[in-house]
Amino acid sequence: MADAAALPPARAPFNPWPAVIFIALVCLALLFLAPTAGVLLSSIKTTREIALGALWSIPADLYLGNYAEVLANPAVHRYLLNTVLVSAPATVASIALGALAGYVFAKLPFRGSNLLFLVIVSGMFFPPQVILIPLFRLFNAMNLIDTLWPLIVIHTAMGIPICTLLMRNFFATVPNALREAAILEGANEWQVLATVALPLSLPALAVLATLQFTWIWNDFLWPLIFTQSDEKRTIMLGIVNLRGQYSVAWGVQGALSLIASLPTLIVFLFFQRYFIKGMTMGAVKG
Amino acid sequence: MARLVLEGVSKRFGAVLAVDGVDLDIEHGEFVVFVGPSGCGKSTMLRAISGLESISAGRILIGDRDVTHVAPSRRGVAMVFQSYALFPHLTAAENIGFGLRLAKVPKDEIARRVTEVAKTLQIEALLDRYPRQLSGGQRQRVAIGRSIIRDPEVFLFDEPLSNLDAALRVRMRLEIARLRDRLDATMIYVTHDQTEAMTLADRIVVFNEGRIEQIGAPVELYDGPANLFVAGFIGAPAMNFIPAEIETAQGGQARVRFGPVSLPLEREATPGRVTFGVRPEHLSVAAESGHDFRGRVEIVEKLGAESLIYLQTDFANAPVTMRMAPELDIHAGEEIPVRVGRSRFHLFDATGSILRIR
Repeated sequence: MADAAALPPARAPFNPWPAVIFIALVCLALLFLAPTAGVLLSSIKTTREIALGALWSIPADLYLGNYAEVLANPAVHRYLLNTVLVSAPATVASIALGALAGYVFAKLPFRGSNLLFLVIVSGMFFPPQVILIPLFRLFNAMNLIDTLWPLIVIHTAMGIPICTLLMRNFFATVPNALREAAILEGANEWQVLATVALPLSLPALAVLATLQFTWIWNDFLWPLIFTQSDEKRTIMLGIVNLRGQYSVAWGVQGALSLIASLPTLIVFLFFQRYFIKGMTMGAVKG
Repeated sequence: MARLVLEGVSKRFGAVLAVDGVDLDIEHGEFVVFVGPSGCGKSTMLRAISGLESISAGRILIGDRDVTHVAPSRRGVAMVFQSYALFPHLTAAENIGFGLRLAKVPKDEIARRVTEVAKTLQIEALLDRYPRQLSGGQRQRVAIGRSIIRDPEVFLFDEPLSNLDAALRVRMRLEIARLRDRLDATMIYVTHDQTEAMTLADRIVVFNEGRIEQIGAPVELYDGPANLFVAGFIGAPAMNFIPAEIETAQGGQARVRFGPVSLPLEREATPGRVTFGVRPEHLSVAAESGHDFRGRVEIVEKLGAESLIYLQTDFANAPVTMRMAPELDIHAGEEIPVRVGRSRFHLFDATGSILRIR
């Protein structure tokens, strides 16, 4: 031991792992960004420039004609409005129903509630294709094809499993003593949920709102099945519809793709400030 | 008047009987402490009184009103939780006024009463803070504030000080004692802390396995335990228990005997096996001539104000504890002569019940 103490302090051996991980992450990030960058580059080029095949080149001039064309197109306005009309209510409804179910599963368990919870959550694992034809026949019989209603209903229903799972798990972390204290103060279960459990669950609500909104906004399959006329199309179908008859309008499609992804980005930026930890800190001993 | 009466209250969780036919009558303004080992049913009993837990049998009356099936908030009870249970997203003021806000009391009235309560508890400066910005003691004060603002008839405290450090606990204990003098309300306090129970209680209720073992004033329980369980539970360090035997000598004089010790009893007793119980402070170091037995000192714990001495003997199953003045110079390994305080010991029969010997 004495010998070891007398030696000069050894240099820490070179650890290559942080560097390796860093390089791997940078590569992954570039891979993820590449398509967006490609679309961005296309959207600021003229059709002629794109036709020459220089997809990844920096354009000679900043051409904003594609954006102007897209933003002036009344059909695009319609698509955007339709998508909002589907995404907003379906997001709110699926989170509201998931929060109610989650609260019951977390705080008011009953005989068989765990099994029921599993059944609901298993809904996440159903491929949509399995229920596509029955749903089409159902909504057809209800005369709702080519309206936005099937989209709202389906997205609400499909969102319930993930919303229930997340809200239940989050509510489970809200101490029981808080619910009991509120009840002793005169709150009923509604008030416990509204004034105690939900305010404490803002991080979960923010995550869900972002997830659900993005998911519904970007959906392609359901609007393709249930809408037919251009008046009822959503934005993702709109991008495809912008394809010209004889040529592909890469620049215009690129511009609309970027515009179409803005709302989800805005939703994320708006909710990310609620992605904070420690809301329940200080509730009970801590 | 908030008299609280429990009549044959039982609570069953599946196959487990957590509370087993409890009868209890608590007078208005009384401070009653429930004590007992973990899982004895004391907290369940408190939660049943609050209404957070339904009961399987029996009746609960508060101020002559049967509240057995009344909602918790309509029972006129308030509870202070061990974990404080403050709402983390609300400020101290909002926490205190939470119940009033739910009851739709006008805002300025809420503000006025919150300030009043805060003044009583000396937390006026903290009203705008969130629970996470408060220390343990401050949080507990806010929790108490939330309970007193609604002017309940019965206060329920569920181990309210057990999360605090020792010094703060003493201070909060004094504060609760003061609060109890100031508020004209009935208080029920659950704790496993001996000192809290002894200092705060008008009466202590000792629970064991869902039943009440004994009810009485602190000193009553300390000096006159009804059975082995209460004798062992009340008092720290605990009473010494030594297996012994009652013999009747010639002339009819009954004596209790263990090891070399033989002590006369003041009244007649049936011969047989008993448990001899004596508190640590009723054993003393004696002169050679007057001692009852000798023991080898195993450990000396110097606590400053007193010393605890653990003796090894050949007749007791566990080390015998003695409480000594700190000045006595005794060291581990010594053999010391010990005298048993004559009229201070207890005898328990085979079922654990106390034997009347005086």
